[in-house]
Amino acid sequence: MNPITYALREIRRRRYRTAVNIAGIVIAISTLITLVMAARGWETCTTVPLNSIGTDIILYYTAPLKPSGEGCYIVNHLFSYPFNQSMLNDFESVHEVERAVPILMHRLRAMVFTGIDPSETETNAVLPSSIIEGRYLKPDDRYVAIIDKEYAALMNLTLGSTVNYAADFEVVGIVDVSATNIMKSHIYVNLQAVQEVLPEQPIGLVNMALIRTNSPDTVKQAAAVLEERWPDTRTITGSDLAETASGLIQINEETAWSISIALAVITILFTAKSQLGNVAERTREIGILKAIGWSNGNVVNQIVTESLMQGAIGGILGCILGYIFASYVLFTIGGELGGALKFVSVDPVLLGVGLVIALGSGVVAGLLASVRAARLEPVKAIRTI
Amino acid sequence: MSTKNVIELSNLTKTYQRGNASEVKAVDDVSLKVVDGEFLTILGPSGSGKTTLLNLIGGLDKPSEGTVILDGLDISKLTESELVKVRREKVGFVFQAFNLIPTFSALENVEAPLAPTKMPKNERIERSQELLWLMGLKQRADHLPAELSAGEQQRVAIARAFANKPTVLLLDEPTGNLDTKSGKKILELCHRASKEQGQTVVAVTHATYIRRYTDCLLFMRDGKLFSQIPQEEFEEAE
Ligand SMILES: Nc1ncnc2c1ncn2[C@@H]1O[C@H](COP(=O)(O)OP(=O)(O)OP(=O)(O)O)[C@@H](O)[C@H]1O
Ligand SMILES: [Mg+2]
Repeated sequence: MNPITYALREIRRRRYRTAVNIAGIVIAISTLITLVMAARGWETCTTVPLNSIGTDIILYYTAPLKPSGEGCYIVNHLFSYPFNQSMLNDFESVHEVERAVPILMHRLRAMVFTGIDPSETETNAVLPSSIIEGRYLKPDDRYVAIIDKEYAALMNLTLGSTVNYAADFEVVGIVDVSATNIMKSHIYVNLQAVQEVLPEQPIGLVNMALIRTNSPDTVKQAAAVLEERWPDTRTITGSDLAETASGLIQINEETAWSISIALAVITILFTAKSQLGNVAERTREIGILKAIGWSNGNVVNQIVTESLMQGAIGGILGCILGYIFASYVLFTIGGELGGALKFVSVDPVLLGVGLVIALGSGVVAGLLASVRAARLEPVKAIRTI
Repeated sequence: MSTKNVIELSNLTKTYQRGNASEVKAVDDVSLKVVDGEFLTILGPSGSGKTTLLNLIGGLDKPSEGTVILDGLDISKLTESELVKVRREKVGFVFQAFNLIPTFSALENVEAPLAPTKMPKNERIERSQELLWLMGLKQRADHLPAELSAGEQQRVAIARAFANKPTVLLLDEPTGNLDTKSGKKILELCHRASKEQGQTVVAVTHATYIRRYTDCLLFMRDGKLFSQIPQEEFEEAE
């Protein structure tokens, strides 16, 4: 009779108790995996939409520059109030800011027309890596444009076609930009050309700055400093974006782990309590085994094997369920944010950790319960009928 | 036959506390020597202390006073792990209420005392099968205790007691719950097995027909041992 055969039989004999123990472990482990993956997913959501255009912060003005620009045509068609391009140098003087990139975004009905500085290839409303046909803009380009793939398909535009937005532009490139990119536009041209062709020419003005910080850890700090020094500015960071998406579990990975560890401890205590009951029910049986020459070590080994097997079953089921839940949660968050989570998949290491925790709880619960079995005196046990 | 003393009890007393007032001397000042290979039977009415005495001899219980020397070892001076070794290697026990493990098959019950030993698995199974065969249970090896008759369960318990080739075999009511015919059959088996394998046997019972199979017969009452058997003890049985 080996401990595993015996354990399997005991597990089958005490189905209800075993099912409850396993359920506890399954809940703890699947919660661990789901929470941690949701936390990671959330963290990804907060970084991907802006990171895909190489920026950490989008900065804009809420009040018009005085005295010019007030109430004029251009203000009504810009996404935010224009400000002097020279302000970018001031923003760059903030310690946490590494680069401030100018954007002039204009809209007319449903069309979005964006002026960029093509020499900025790391942070920009559209990056060279998005080009799927033709070429990216060059700093000395004048009346040429790159256009969005879907817009090109809709309007039957190809390389060499002409698009009109306040002036004619020749299409030199087509870009594929994800819907999560909040700078997604129909037409991108050189900043200078936009400033020249708009009806009230905003020469020297822009209406947004894309800000790259010197480290991912200083994003919040940089945004706070910018808003404090220039009280009319507003900043959008990745976490601001994620907060606007509803239905998200907004916890960080550390909190997720803390909750999970607490759950694991409760599970251990719960399983131990249940195993104690199991030992009590088997008093007589354990007493007989001791009376015929089983040592405490043999008995402990048996009980730990049983609860270790429950831990293994619970761990495997918990990992499977956790994987399903976590995938569902990531899918839901991913749906909210339009595919930003295609970068996140359930971490196999996390599944491994879940399994190890489940096995560990089995061992600890078994050891706690076997203290009772070890104390059990065989004479008393055999007299129990 | 050698005259080595396998069991030596001197002034053995076991006192139980009942509530806070009265004490019960379940075993009262018992001194006894059992030599190697002897089949000793102790007769006694219910509550006379027979089970308590066997538990003391087998190292399952600690005496209140006096000593138990089993195969040269003073039981009360042994550590827990030495006691485990004694139970595992020197003692074979048939408990009063069979006490088989309900989830183990007959074969596994017989194998159970061997499981913690170094004996290889195939040898353990071979030995267990041989013992079941000896007890006439060859066809019942895979049955659970609940699927066996009382007599068959009793025989499994006896096979289990023989499994570790013990120096002493302690039989507590080996024929209890059995009709006279099956009881006699069991005793015959025990007697033959002990003679063939050289075991020292101490059997306790209130079944008087046991005297036919025994080398020595003692009588127990109120915790005390007597060598004279009161005549009235035999009247009802024969
Ligand atoms: N744990 C205990 N606590 C208190 N009294 C006990 C305990 N165990 C046994 N006794 C008492 O000791 C006495 C002897 O009990 P024991 O079980 O040895 O009798 P027995 O001769 O085996 O009886 P039976 O033939 O009915 O099995 C009885 O009076 C019993 O009530
Ligand atoms: Mg008894």
